[in-house]
Amino acid sequence: MAKCSCSRRDFLVRGMYGIGVGGMLPTILSRTSAALSAQALQGTSIEKHPNRILVVVELSGGNDGLNTVVPFGDAAYYRARPKLGITERDVIKVADGYGFHPSMVGFERLYKDGRLAVVHGCGYDHPSLSHFSSMGFWHTGVPNGGEPLGWLGRLADARYPAAAKNVIVNLGNSQSLAVRSRQHSPLVFDDPGRFRRDGTEEEKHALGMLSAPRTTSNSTLEFLASTAKNATESSDFVRRASSSYRTPVDYGQGGGLAGNLQRVAALIAAEMPARLYYVTYAGNSFDTHVQQADLHTRLLMYTADAVRGFMEDVARIGRGDDVAVMIFTEFGRRVEENGSLGTDHGTATPMFLVGKGVKGGFYGQHPSLTDLDDGNMKMTTDFRRVYASGIQEWLGYDQTQAVLKGTFAPLGVFA
Amino acid sequence: MFRSPVRPLLTGLICCVAALTLAARASTGPGPASWVDDLAPITKTDWGYDRAAHLIERAGFGATPDEIDRLAALTPEQAVAQLVNYDSIDNSALKPFDESGIWDRGMDPFPPSRAEAVRLAREKGEGLGEKMLPPGSPRRLQPIVDKFFYGLYANQIETQRLGLWWANRMMATRRPLEEKLTLFWHGHFATGENKVRDYRMMLQQNLMLRANASGRLPDLLIGILKDPAMLVYLDNGENVKSHPNENFGRELLELFSMGVGNYSEHDVREAARAFTGWTNDVLTYKFDATQHDSGEKTFLGRTGAFNGDDIIRIILEQPVTGEFVAAKLYRYFVREDISSSVKSDLGRQFRESGYRIKPLMTRILLSKDFYSPASYATQIKSPAHLVVSTYRKMGLREVPTVPDFGRMTGGLGQSLFDPPNVAGWAGGRTWITPATLLQRGNMFRDVLFPDVKNFRPPDRAMSATDQRVGERLAMGMNITEATREGDAESNKMVDRDEDYNTRYGGWAGYQLAFKRTKLIPRQPISIDLMAMVQTAKADTPDKIVDHFVRRFMRVSLADKDRQVLVDFLKNKRVDEGSLRELLYLVLSTPEYQLG
Repeated sequence: MAKCSCSRRDFLVRGMYGIGVGGMLPTILSRTSAALSAQALQGTSIEKHPNRILVVVELSGGNDGLNTVVPFGDAAYYRARPKLGITERDVIKVADGYGFHPSMVGFERLYKDGRLAVVHGCGYDHPSLSHFSSMGFWHTGVPNGGEPLGWLGRLADARYPAAAKNVIVNLGNSQSLAVRSRQHSPLVFDDPGRFRRDGTEEEKHALGMLSAPRTTSNSTLEFLASTAKNATESSDFVRRASSSYRTPVDYGQGGGLAGNLQRVAALIAAEMPARLYYVTYAGNSFDTHVQQADLHTRLLMYTADAVRGFMEDVARIGRGDDVAVMIFTEFGRRVEENGSLGTDHGTATPMFLVGKGVKGGFYGQHPSLTDLDDGNMKMTTDFRRVYASGIQEWLGYDQTQAVLKGTFAPLGVFA
Repeated sequence: MFRSPVRPLLTGLICCVAALTLAARASTGPGPASWVDDLAPITKTDWGYDRAAHLIERAGFGATPDEIDRLAALTPEQAVAQLVNYDSIDNSALKPFDESGIWDRGMDPFPPSRAEAVRLAREKGEGLGEKMLPPGSPRRLQPIVDKFFYGLYANQIETQRLGLWWANRMMATRRPLEEKLTLFWHGHFATGENKVRDYRMMLQQNLMLRANASGRLPDLLIGILKDPAMLVYLDNGENVKSHPNENFGRELLELFSMGVGNYSEHDVREAARAFTGWTNDVLTYKFDATQHDSGEKTFLGRTGAFNGDDIIRIILEQPVTGEFVAAKLYRYFVREDISSSVKSDLGRQFRESGYRIKPLMTRILLSKDFYSPASYATQIKSPAHLVVSTYRKMGLREVPTVPDFGRMTGGLGQSLFDPPNVAGWAGGRTWITPATLLQRGNMFRDVLFPDVKNFRPPDRAMSATDQRVGERLAMGMNITEATREGDAESNKMVDRDEDYNTRYGGWAGYQLAFKRTKLIPRQPISIDLMAMVQTAKADTPDKIVDHFVRRFMRVSLADKDRQVLVDFLKNKRVDEGSLRELLYLVLSTPEYQLG
């Protein structure tokens, strides 16, 4: 890994001019001038926490929240889950009446260290039970609203100047709606080793010219050209950062999440200027309609292992204070198990916030398991309050109302 | 320095070409802006090379200039009719899929998980055609676990072979729209081998979709709802009277027929009840009357003791169904944005015709809207289309296999027989990320400059962990030692060593799968670009660039970009190598992504 003698703040400001040149600039910016540049770039306010990073983890498919954070103190849970219920004996008990699925040893450790917050019963009014609609609502942060941009995209638009490069990194094969932005072009990639332009220097030079931004009446062509430019500028950095990264931390078996979180750690270690990372446990994995028990055990274990490993790894590289993780899914599952040893689409579900900055513990009220809406729990915390905590309490940006298109009080999760 | 590969200049041809160019000018490129949203058919005077090329790009997988010339020589009605009414075209030269024969007696029905395979084997003393080891032996269940992983991996390999088989059909078919529609329905009725885990079901579904591709929507709906792969994919075997499983009913309404917002949650549950008992006996549809809920249901305002067929009938009575499916076809063949007037117009026609696909496709492909600036060369090519159409434009007859076809398209987000989820491929701009955009060019460099020496066939590749197990076993370690990995909870679970060792099973499963699946023959590209430009009489860098642009691209290059290509070639000796480099540049431009 390349050593850097400069301060992180310098790097952030330099990063704004593009990582393509950032790595080659001499360290000329002092702390003060860097701060001034940052101020000039951002107009009125100096960022309160210019080092902080938010990593959002999506568990796609609708995670069964009731078997993740188990309400073992509630007899109604066992009535609704005669076969799938996690017995009280097996639950990893962490709070009065609540505990983790037995496979989530990783979360137990984070919780005991005071670094894990659980927010009960997250959801929104008039919930959709469609994966695609509901995930879209979580992505945009505007349920039933037809909003074209993602909440992280809008946050980037509001918070970070358009000239800032690579504010958002999205690990995956396709771009998530959550990061779709008006001004920013999220850096999306899957395998950093293959994130490169092949060819001789002469070919690459020609392709650099052929990929210059253009103005035409064909807006798709403009989109392609600007993506090509971004790709050319960023790929070398990402590839070098990732290929040189070595860590002794065991992130577990994976399911794709472990590898992606490790890539995030590599980029953070290499001083990537990104502030928002988006990582997916992909493929609708959590859609456990059938024979749920073993599959769900594995999914939760991978998730807990990967997140625990990631937090340990960022602490190891000295960035433990700067990184917070937010974990969500598009909906929980029906309270009552189905006839196939699985669970169907539901509504309210817990969210998780992880990090040294987090005041560990439980937040909000667990929804009732008996006062149901057509078999589904009634949400108790609007999920955008958790977003607001991330935006305001963690990233230090106060204009959450503009980003979230409504007033959502943060939960006081971050110290 | 440029040295002409072609000496003679056929001056006589020049006036001919000039005359042709003049005649074609009226119908060059997209039509006027006034054509947007106009569903009236184009006429003979609107027809020409560019528009014929646009038609075959969308209704097929592109074509060589000669093939396009032949299409352009017809009237637009004839050209579209030839593509749409393909049933009479003899396609018997195409070979059926050549199965390896991986299925043993005892492997049906294939268990949904390793845990389930083990549970069943404990009960019966055998599973998947393998017996448990005698009492007292170590790891008594190991043969069953090995066999389970064999089944998993052999099906994955067979599915790779199936994908290549299909790609070669797309290349060689004389009915391009048939394959293009089959690919559309595969995305619409998305089903993935990763869950089905049975290539036979995937093949069977593919044949069903192809047989009905341009037929009637009702037949497709009934076909897919009785299709074993779909029944497994959406867990409808678990949809039983006592516990209806909503997945099937929900996806039918949301994704296959009506679209979200046009029915209630109650309708979803009632539909699920009506489809209880619709299941499969491995490769055949089966109605299990004992699991069917024959009670009264209220669905979309109608009440009766409905079964699945009734639900389909009621869905087809809804005007929104015609609009939803017609709009999806439009988005696939024409462009992302559909106006509300076009949508209701096409939807009405579709429904009133008895949901016949041929007249709908004819209307779409002949419409002025289809050739308007909003539609013409504005679509981002899907990965499968990108690869197949490039090969077709090169004039190849068969898909080269170094690099690997499935790996190429998969890396770009499209694996045939493995869509990302039940919603299929989102398409459009979602194909493009900074990484995939670079990869779209890189892969053609690998095609044009194949690295045979370092090529690793994916049909003989295993995960790094499994490979490590093999290496350690070869070093003489015992199974326990060879399978130990790390200290995370999930690692400890997998190498746990009781009645069986899961990690060893993975390695052993690969070994057997490699033995029993047919090897994909590996053949790098065979192409002669020198001959191509000579045949085209392109004897200067300018003409060569123009030929490549005309042959491969649907959007013309800006003058300065064209000049970059000309200058690139001017600095070199024109030979096969430099022509391949030039072609790599052409195929890597942002413009080339558009079709």
